[in-house]
Amino acid sequence: MAATERIGGVFAATLLLPGLAAVSTVHAEEPPDQAEIALKYGYYRDWQPGLDRVKVQSPQLYLLTPFAGQWSLEAATVSDSVSGATPRMHTTRSGATPAMSDHRSATDVKVTRYFHRGSITLGGGYSGENDYVSHSQNVEGRWSTEDNNRTWIAGYGHSGDVIDNTGSGGSVENQHRQTRELMVGVTQAATANDVVQAFFTRSMGRGYFSDPYKDFDQRPDSRRASITLLRWNHHLEKYDATVRSSWRYYQDSFGIRSHTLAAEWVQPVGVWTITPGLRYYMQSAASFYYDPVTDAQGVPSSLLTRRYASNLEGYYSPDQRLSAFGAVTASIKVAYAFSEASSVDLKVEQYRQSSGLRFGGGSPYLDPFRASFVQFGVSHKF
Amino acid sequence: MASPCELLLEGKGEAALRRGAAAAIAEVRRIESKFSRYLPHSVVSRINAAAGGQALDVDAETASLLDFAASLWESSEGLFDATSGVLRRAWDFGARRLPQPGQIESLLPLVGWRQVEWNGTRIRLPQPGMQLDFGGFGKEYAADRAAGVLLEHGVAHALVNLGGDIHVLGPHGAPGLAGQPWQVAIERPRPGVSGPLATLAIERGGVATSGDYERFFELDGKRYCHILDPRTGWPVCEWQSISVVAANTTAAGALSTIAMLKGAQAVDWLTAQGASWLAVRADGELLRHPPLAGGQ
Repeated sequence: MAATERIGGVFAATLLLPGLAAVSTVHAEEPPDQAEIALKYGYYRDWQPGLDRVKVQSPQLYLLTPFAGQWSLEAATVSDSVSGATPRMHTTRSGATPAMSDHRSATDVKVTRYFHRGSITLGGGYSGENDYVSHSQNVEGRWSTEDNNRTWIAGYGHSGDVIDNTGSGGSVENQHRQTRELMVGVTQAATANDVVQAFFTRSMGRGYFSDPYKDFDQRPDSRRASITLLRWNHHLEKYDATVRSSWRYYQDSFGIRSHTLAAEWVQPVGVWTITPGLRYYMQSAASFYYDPVTDAQGVPSSLLTRRYASNLEGYYSPDQRLSAFGAVTASIKVAYAFSEASSVDLKVEQYRQSSGLRFGGGSPYLDPFRASFVQFGVSHKF
Repeated sequence: MASPCELLLEGKGEAALRRGAAAAIAEVRRIESKFSRYLPHSVVSRINAAAGGQALDVDAETASLLDFAASLWESSEGLFDATSGVLRRAWDFGARRLPQPGQIESLLPLVGWRQVEWNGTRIRLPQPGMQLDFGGFGKEYAADRAAGVLLEHGVAHALVNLGGDIHVLGPHGAPGLAGQPWQVAIERPRPGVSGPLATLAIERGGVATSGDYERFFELDGKRYCHILDPRTGWPVCEWQSISVVAANTTAAGALSTIAMLKGAQAVDWLTAQGASWLAVRADGELLRHPPLAGGQ
């Protein structure tokens, strides 16, 4: 019985016959046989009741090209223009919110060498804005079993960041942060219609983690995180559709525990592909996050909160991103293929974050937060 | 091989291509003479001749094929049985008549891979009259081996066709067609309509078809085909034909043969085996997986 349950058992058995592995078409890793260029334009904005916050416009360019037979080169560059206001504490409007505008550019380059059953990728990245510069390097190896049903993946990455906002009138000068990341994963074809993946990532960061624009924000100088990610893609023959689902569990030394549940339905309809998606996220607060302080009437008071915060010792932060909350993202992507080589796509995402969306309740007195994102892309293979 | 065979090669350097073709043909002949049950001096004939007698030592290649037969028996839950050929004695498709009463019952004790004494190097068929054959994967194995020989000779664009069992070794190489997949036509299982059942675009890999139309007869409105269930000795005719596309021809051949025997479970089983397939049900309906593969 065991043999009948094994996926592709007959094919796997043929590979034991003399000379057959060499003429069986499954090559786990193959360099792309076409170059691809893609342009994307994204527009993001977020807001809270009565307050328009950040707007980001981001044109992106992506290039993938095979070279010298067994190699490929991938490069992506994005240029973000950010404008808007960030809240000073929590999310309550307390006095003037400083207006800001910034420009970020980021470039990633990857080189991959393909072997019969595996590949090795070396990558490097640069990201820079007024007050922040980051460099990263990473290496990733992939190896597939002879029957191609299982792929093992291991990666190591390092990034070094420098935070300095003295140029924009801030007081944080030449602060550093180093992060190392180790990842192992496996992809398994469970049946002809199911692919499951499991990844585990351990990340260790040291250095400056505070928010240079927040008052009363003092965070630990190390952050260690463990991330478990499980994915399941299932093809539904009846509808010729694919359902992609995932669960991600994150925990770190700040005390944050988070769950992300995501699902999307990929539905081809002729030359169109329509992909609606839904994502749910919830996290607990960091151990050093503090709630706004309320006055005698139970209304959060900026003055009382500042007075409270100025007496805090050790680590403390009012950053809403470190509070306990839940969030829901709804998205839809529509792609149209002119030919096998050319396509355009449009993606729209709506995000809503609030304390009430967390199971068991979130941090009190925080305004809900909404964001929307629109992206238009063109891609061409040649 | 008792069936039309063809070798299509494309590329530059005629002399080298001819050398590759000659070597590939020699490899096919070698396999036929070594494993055909119709040739008295083949390994298979010697094993059959020794049935009920002494165990025989076999070479490494034969051992691999016997191991493969054993694994097919297991993965098919006994439906694929390399000892079932003896049942053909009861079924005379030329004479168009049913077996004599008791004839199948008398042959069934000679069928059963379970009885075969095979330890990885020595084989013995325990009862006189038992027969082994490599039908369902032997010709397919020859197609894959021929492709391997071509590859060793530097041929990168070729199609090997041994009586409908096809190995595509790389896309077309001829100027104007270079890089294009080969168009493999799948035969219609019933006469009447002209043109192929489907044409599959294959760049690399194996294609094999099993059909109920190779040997059959009809009696009192019922069709009796040569696909015999080794457990009952009777034909299984739920499919007119099943074609499978797999990473090599041996897998495609074994999968299509087993699928014919699987009856109603065939398509689920094939899909679970990760194969692409095209099947015509007994009522004439065409089914395929993945749904859009190849195109008509």
